[in-house]
Amino acid sequence: MMLALKFLQTLLKALNSDGTPGQVAMGMAVGLCFGLTPLVSLHNLFVLAVAMLTTLSFPGVFLGWAIATPLGFMLDPLFDRIGMALLTNDALAPIFTWIVNTPVIALSRMNNTVVLGSVVAWFVLLVPSYFLFRVLVHRYRADVYAHVQKWKVVQLVKGSQAYSLYRSWWPSS
Amino acid sequence: MVAVLVRFIRWKALLPLSVVLGLIALWEILLADRTLKWAVESGGTAAVGARVDVGRATLGILDGHVTLEGLQVTDPNAPMTNMVEVAELIFDVGLLPALEKKIVIDSVAARGIRFGTPRQVSGAIPRKARDSASSSAVIDEFKRQVKVPPLELSTLTQSVNVGGIAADSLATLREARHTVAFADTAKAKLLADIEAADPRPTLDSAQALATRLQRASLRTLGMSGVRQAVTDVRRTLRDLGQLDDRLRALETETRGNAAGLQARLAAIPAARAEDYAYARSLLKLPSFDVPNIGPQLFSDVVAEKMAGVVYWLDRAEQYVPPGLQRQMQPGRDRARANGTDVLFPKAFVYPDFLMRMAELSLSIGGEGASAGNYSATIVGLTTQPAVLGAPTTFALSRTEGQTGPTDIRMNGFFDHRTAPVRDTLVAQFAGITLPSFPLGGLGGAVVLGTGYSVLTVERRGEALNSRWVWRAPNVTWQRDAARARPADARAAFVEDVLWRAMARIDSVEIDARVGGTLRHPTMAIRTNIADAVGNALREQLGDEVRRAEQQVRARVDALVEAEVAKARAAAAVAKAQVSERIASERARLEEEKAALESRLRDLTRIPGIR
Repeated sequence: MMLALKFLQTLLKALNSDGTPGQVAMGMAVGLCFGLTPLVSLHNLFVLAVAMLTTLSFPGVFLGWAIATPLGFMLDPLFDRIGMALLTNDALAPIFTWIVNTPVIALSRMNNTVVLGSVVAWFVLLVPSYFLFRVLVHRYRADVYAHVQKWKVVQLVKGSQAYSLYRSWWPSS
Repeated sequence: MVAVLVRFIRWKALLPLSVVLGLIALWEILLADRTLKWAVESGGTAAVGARVDVGRATLGILDGHVTLEGLQVTDPNAPMTNMVEVAELIFDVGLLPALEKKIVIDSVAARGIRFGTPRQVSGAIPRKARDSASSSAVIDEFKRQVKVPPLELSTLTQSVNVGGIAADSLATLREARHTVAFADTAKAKLLADIEAADPRPTLDSAQALATRLQRASLRTLGMSGVRQAVTDVRRTLRDLGQLDDRLRALETETRGNAAGLQARLAAIPAARAEDYAYARSLLKLPSFDVPNIGPQLFSDVVAEKMAGVVYWLDRAEQYVPPGLQRQMQPGRDRARANGTDVLFPKAFVYPDFLMRMAELSLSIGGEGASAGNYSATIVGLTTQPAVLGAPTTFALSRTEGQTGPTDIRMNGFFDHRTAPVRDTLVAQFAGITLPSFPLGGLGGAVVLGTGYSVLTVERRGEALNSRWVWRAPNVTWQRDAARARPADARAAFVEDVLWRAMARIDSVEIDARVGGTLRHPTMAIRTNIADAVGNALREQLGDEVRRAEQQVRARVDALVEAEVAKARAAAAVAKAQVSERIASERARLEEEKAALESRLRDLTRIPGIR
């Protein structure tokens, strides 16, 4: 319960004040990768390193991941088709032959239709989703945040004993 | 630029990132053994088509050793039996290829290999949708195609009811009806074409002109009239020439149709022969032909045995595809969709899986026939032979044994470097206890006892050429006492005669050959038992069967004769009518043409007329 509240608060905090809208939006756009593509993959280790080592919003990454996870499952058939189209394209065969026969890079499983299709889809969506998320974060901060604070459910959560207990443990958050 | 980039780096995250990566690496190392066990079990299960279990798997990352303990490979055709069970297998694995997600085994050491051991739990796996068109389906289809019904003694002596032969199922009738329809259609079309060509106006006009000019001269027509007449004649002759061309084209078409009709009429005797055979099979008349009796006696048991060979050939084709073309295989199971793994083989690199050499000394304990010492060598076992550039070869021989076979040798190769793939296997067993062969339809079995068996399998692409021979010098015959004897006294008598005939045989040879293709196999079984059975049947039932055959032929003839006669008549009428019509039109055309040409010659003799 505490962890869930902490996680929820981290996400809301990210939307509200953690970094510039651009940083949050880039975090969310990068975080989409964890949800859209199969999680246990070599490229996700690389994306994690990028997320940790750059100044993009890390909570934003989690938010992007949370948004994209159900989408990833839903869109698997589409990723499979995209991947199959790319992997069976004769013009690209030399690239994939190099990938699957090169040490370490071969472990990326880029010869799997779903892995490749989802990575390509994420890459294509990276820039548009960044701009979209930036607009949404702007609008959230300007219009929605104050409105959300007035929601009964938020008032209820804030008035609950669990929230009081949580605040007593993490007063600064 | 660098300064801008540095501004975006979160240096303080380096330590947490290192910790995260370290934890992931530690997790992988701790779980390596489990992952290896899972990989061997899932990969093996997929390749074999039945469960593969590993008791314990150990991965020595630093020294490149993989140890598998308690490996059990289920026999796909007998899920409660292990095809092979190995107490311990130690592989010397290449580390560098592992970075390319490839498995290269330099050497293998095995201990405690046993075959055909019982299993505690069934090793059958649920058949997935994608398997339906795969090996199991291939096996079922193979058996369906090569099995023939067993010898039916009960029907041999029954009176033949030719009334059961239905006219509608006879190919001759269908062929005859098609011929009639073809003749009618061709006749109607040609006559319509002649009507459409409509030669009469041209011929009538030519006749009228010829008549008009019959007594014409310079005096009656004048100079200009003669010139006009010459022009008219030439134009009409040109029209007649065009009409002639059209009639010739129709004649050619008629000849083509006549040839088609002739071909259809010629097909009728073949269809009738087919109907005789069909009617014969419908009434289950026995065949005394030795090549037919072998399959009737043994196709069931031989099909079961050969199905195992076909199964492994199909598996080898599926998992060891030829060439350097892209290869597809299902992705590994995970929470997300599995997708498809597309492989891109490349020459002169490591294949996805390679076992360079395995030299195995097998020791099978106990008092059984298989007990003894064996040596086996496998060289170049790989899933991508085109990448390796060499075929997989294997050999196995028995080096020592207290009891059981005097000699067991097996060798062969799989050459899947290029299409068509070539697989060869030769297995010889001397002094082994041969299996008992049930005698299809005769209620008993021949117990072959100790003997010699040799299996040769050659596959080149889809073409299959295999042979399995069993030779037994001292057989015994076991008649099934519990089986009910044929109710009909005559059938029971014939069965007794057959058993007496077979009982005189001491030495048996069964020679089964499977040819054709993997998808459309053919099977022939020759055996000296079939000679004895064929002779005994012929002796006892020859006259009856000949009489029954005559009745069958007579019935088929009676059912089809009228329709065949109709087909012949229709063909003759069509040919005659069309030919007659064309001939009459052409005769008239020639006549008119000759008359006009004669008039033209007369008129062009007049000076000043050309």
